Amino acid sequence: MAHQAHSYHMVDPSPWPIFGAAAALLTTSGLIMWFHYSSTTLLTMGLLSMLLVMLQWWRDVIRESTFQGHHTPTVQKGLRYGMILFITSEAFFFLGFFWAFFHSSLAPTPELGGQWPPTGVKPLNPLEVPLLNTAILLASGVTVTWTHHSITEGNRKQAIHALTLTILLGFYFTALQAMEYHEASFSIADSVYGSTFFVATGFHGLHVIIGSSFLTVCLLRLIKFHFTPNHHFGFEAAAWYWHFVDIIWLFLYMSMYWWGS
Amino acid sequence: MTGRSAARLWKTLSFVVALPAVGVCMLNCYLKAQHEHERPEFIRYAHLRIRSKPFPWGDGNKTLFHNPHVNALPTGYEDEN
Repeated sequence: MAHQAHSYHMVDPSPWPIFGAAAALLTTSGLIMWFHYSSTTLLTMGLLSMLLVMLQWWRDVIRESTFQGHHTPTVQKGLRYGMILFITSEAFFFLGFFWAFFHSSLAPTPELGGQWPPTGVKPLNPLEVPLLNTAILLASGVTVTWTHHSITEGNRKQAIHALTLTILLGFYFTALQAMEYHEASFSIADSVYGSTFFVATGFHGLHVIIGSSFLTVCLLRLIKFHFTPNHHFGFEAAAWYWHFVDIIWLFLYMSMYWWGS
Repeated sequence: MTGRSAARLWKTLSFVVALPAVGVCMLNCYLKAQHEHERPEFIRYAHLRIRSKPFPWGDGNKTLFHNPHVNALPTGYEDEN
């Protein structure tokens, strides 16, 4: 049996990368078919294949690491770099939307009534539900830290409780935001105010849902004994992502909800 | 504050600081929601209720989270006409 003379993981050939690219193509062209030709077939195929690729690719990563032991400290270091770079790219993604917001709000045009919020736009009160949402995300940052220390100290029961609490807080945030979207007197079609507000908070909400899903997968793996006190990078990556989502919210809250009202 | 362990510290922070703060904010929202707010009168501003092209759902005229009580259509509130 051959052994490798290095500590890296030479991954077996896998179909997921090319299928993932195909899913992205189906999804993007599906959006065009939906927007311009009122057909949802391609979009449905795209989203379905995207979901299947994600489930199977990440299932394989778990097989290679937890069950086959390929994730040496060297491999883990690479994964850490990867997650940090990914989160950095997401930060730049949001930076664009913040740029758009400040571009329009710092010098409001005559078409908007020369003011921000524009004439006729009644903004949400930052001290009501948005403040509650801020408390919820900050609290979830505390509970996810409790989770991490519980894992490091080998306390399984507490880790499960803490992570469950974190996920519940995430769901509470999403439910409240959905309610806010429904109750707001302004919509995405209400001048550049609506555009910047809903695109930025909308993408943030999507990231909360993604983060909550990531944490839920970690909870299932925690229950199934995948993590050890010294090796639980999947959880750490989820926690980093969750903290990132929290920080983006803080910036959204301070700029759009508070300053922008 | 030196607990016996870091997990103990963060557990304490969760139940003594973080969750009560959420509770206070929940109470605040509940109290504020007790008085209903009037909706603004409909003025046909050109920069609001923009429809460059129809939305790809329904009749193409309602936003995704449309609420007839508080969101007017380009022609006015639905329940007033």
